[in-house]
Amino acid sequence: MGRWSEERVINAAPDESSLAAARKLARPGPWSDSGSNDVLVWGKCQGSGKTPYQVSVDIVAPAYRCSCPSRKFPCKHALALLLLWARGEAAEASAETADFAQEWAGQRAERATAKDRRKSGEASDPEAQAKRLAERQALMDAGIADFARWLTDLIRTGLAAARSQPYSWWDGVAARLVDSQLPGLAEQVRTMASEVHGRTDWADHLLLHAGRWWALTKAWAARDTLSAEEFADVKAAVGWATASADVNDTEALPGPWLVLGAHRSDDGRLQQQRTWLRGPDGTVVVILDFAGQGQGLATPQLAGALLDVTVARYPGSPPQRAMFTSAVASQGLATSLGPGCTIAQALEQQSAAVARSPWRDRQPVLLAGVTILPEDHGWLLDGNDNALPLMDAPLDSLLALTGGHPVDVFGELEDGRLRPLTVVVDDAVVTP
Amino acid sequence: MTWLDELTWLDGLRTAALVGTGRHSAPSPPAGLGVRPPEGLSREEEVLDQAAMADVVIRASRRPAQAPAATLPLPASPDTEPQAAGEAARLLELLLTQPPVGLELRNQLVVDWLQLAEESRRRVPHRLLPAMFALAETKAAVFKRLEPAIGTRGRWLQSLSKTSVPKPADEGAELGSEDARADLERLRSTDPAAARKRLATHWDDLSARERAHQLALLATNMGSDDEELLERALDDKAKSVREVATGLLDRLPGSLRAGRMSARLLPLLHLKGLLNKRIDIDLPPDPDEQAVRDGIPSNQRSGEPDRLARLDIIIRGAPLEVWTSVSGRGPASTVELLKPEPRVLDGLITAAVSRKDLEWIRALLTVRTDVRLLGCLPAGEREQWLEGYIRNGIDQPLTLVPLLRDLHQPWGLGLADALLGLIAGKNGGQLAAMLAQVLPTALPPEAAEQCRRLLERSDEDPARRRVLRDAVQYQAFRQSLTEAFQ
Repeated sequence: MGRWSEERVINAAPDESSLAAARKLARPGPWSDSGSNDVLVWGKCQGSGKTPYQVSVDIVAPAYRCSCPSRKFPCKHALALLLLWARGEAAEASAETADFAQEWAGQRAERATAKDRRKSGEASDPEAQAKRLAERQALMDAGIADFARWLTDLIRTGLAAARSQPYSWWDGVAARLVDSQLPGLAEQVRTMASEVHGRTDWADHLLLHAGRWWALTKAWAARDTLSAEEFADVKAAVGWATASADVNDTEALPGPWLVLGAHRSDDGRLQQQRTWLRGPDGTVVVILDFAGQGQGLATPQLAGALLDVTVARYPGSPPQRAMFTSAVASQGLATSLGPGCTIAQALEQQSAAVARSPWRDRQPVLLAGVTILPEDHGWLLDGNDNALPLMDAPLDSLLALTGGHPVDVFGELEDGRLRPLTVVVDDAVVTP
Repeated sequence: MTWLDELTWLDGLRTAALVGTGRHSAPSPPAGLGVRPPEGLSREEEVLDQAAMADVVIRASRRPAQAPAATLPLPASPDTEPQAAGEAARLLELLLTQPPVGLELRNQLVVDWLQLAEESRRRVPHRLLPAMFALAETKAAVFKRLEPAIGTRGRWLQSLSKTSVPKPADEGAELGSEDARADLERLRSTDPAAARKRLATHWDDLSARERAHQLALLATNMGSDDEELLERALDDKAKSVREVATGLLDRLPGSLRAGRMSARLLPLLHLKGLLNKRIDIDLPPDPDEQAVRDGIPSNQRSGEPDRLARLDIIIRGAPLEVWTSVSGRGPASTVELLKPEPRVLDGLITAAVSRKDLEWIRALLTVRTDVRLLGCLPAGEREQWLEGYIRNGIDQPLTLVPLLRDLHQPWGLGLADALLGLIAGKNGGQLAAMLAQVLPTALPPEAAEQCRRLLERSDEDPARRRVLRDAVQYQAFRQSLTEAFQ
């Protein structure tokens, strides 16, 4: 590293007065033990006290250290030393670095490597990591036990009593779950508060969900006996997030991935976007995007688009959550979504999915040749005269697009009803 | 497991959960499930275990439902016209979902789109039909233009009760009008004679109020055949009915009453002056019984009789030919003689307008700017008169606003140019503001450049700026629409 110019030293000064003070000190008189190498400049400056101030400067990645109590940075001593060095009046190159400068440089180097390690995500210490994991599991264990107690209390006092509770009561339960690192459960409980107050079939809804939560506490307790896939589903249900970094390198399933449909929801606090994709071998996955209030969600993929992209799946039972592991490029548009199934078959698929993972309540289905009925909130009717009620359906739009003719419909089967996301009309995949 | 077992079990489970296990124990799970609960569970654990089981059983055993009993709508027939594609479809979507112009202009542009689609035999894309219907539900102008561009699919959607578009109430429709009156009104517009006959048949059964209302409906499609009934109404005991009758008879210059009025008017008029350049007009005498029947008020018990009002009534009822016969000139010259008599001119204007006598209307227009007169002219001629007035410098330009609003659009370039001159002038801002609704759409495309130039001028008047900007925007978008359909 070359010697600094005086100008560069002047530029490093925090203000005029520091520079003026430094100029007064920039004479050889007060200085002793000064020296420099490629990286460091150091020296001792005799001030008003008994011991001289020790000054060290890293001239490569400029950093300053002085034992003086000044809050200016760099202080007048460091500036003065640099001025002398720049003029060649002190701190000549020396083979041996002063101890205090060497020590300071050593500390800096250590801190820098530690930071690099953290950045690269290298497991710094497997032991500490295991300890953290054990701590987290203990916290979750306690939270699950507490939640199980709450469930038995709920059943002992009766659901009718719970219905007269204010929202804050539910929020209190949810807050305790969040504290126990169970945000997924907390979200379900919070949602239940409004469902209980808003649904006509609230009693059955709450009873069955209480049963589901109860089963979840049992599954958590027996997690050592679960398969990796089953445990992943339980983890997802309680809200133990899998870091995307842990998924990224596991696999790279090649495309083209067909966009079956997408749904956006906004519960006021969080926006969610679900994009359903099907791979060349028929594997169906869902990409989840989240955004807080005021943030923008990822750009939605066009339904029917063929994406040239690789995908990695999160652990769990199918249909799995997945993430893109390469840049998304469109390969054009499909004219159909492929062969669909009947309503009976779709319900069988859902039965199978519930058997695989009882925690999940949404199943992607592609129905073939179904007609839209405008009664109530809308119905689908298939060729076997079987019917399926619709939910969140833009009926006017569906009717306008289909004209009462049978079409293929892709959607999410939820709670015995279908949320239509995509229809295939006239050799085009469209979003109603 | 039978569904009955399942129902009984779920009922028991629900009851236990609702009232709490403190007061109710858990049911036994149905044998059909083949489940034996573990020993030694608390009541709460039993209920929760079974709830978990019920949750899975219900979700895993869903069966297809029966379709609701409604009849399946017949599928729509294929459309006969191709759908508007490309830029035309994109512009319509823009107008319907995120209009780049004000809402009034948006509605007009949607109407323009529908018209252009009709002309080029294109239809609204299926996916945009719901938004189009939603707009038509509140905007009568859009509703009226839906056909034929909505195509077969649009008509099919309208036939479904769910998406049918209720016809918006016509602006200005009379509220609370009786069914009978509405019926008679419809009949009068299609078969005037039948309507008159029906009214005559029921005449004596009707209340005075209803007689007056229904008689007034004869104004539509009136002809000399109606005279008999109107003469009969002159003898009605209700004043309101007699007033309607005289008002209607004023419109029939060939009627007996007009003849009687003519006989009353003629002796009052005298051609005077050296060159017969003056018409002196006497005031009518006290009315006899016949004159009172014809609507001329008799002497009041106190105060002076209003003889001028009597003259007005006579002028309004008498044929206009009386005046030309006295003056020995045509209507235009006769009107010229009457210039110093504003009250007489008023009466003549009323008479000419009520009889739609174009010759007299044109004659009267040479001495008076009257919106009623202009309103009777054919559209093209009205526009010429308006332009002429504006070019000659009009005192009260705001009086033109109602006429300009009614004018057929787009206006001719001459009128547009004259009006823009007026708007650009001093105090033009107020006129611009009052024409804000019509001006952007009424100006012909050729006037857009002039608007743009006026807009570039520095201008303090925000209303004028807004109207001109709207006009420029509308024309630009309209131009894009026209190109998109080519």
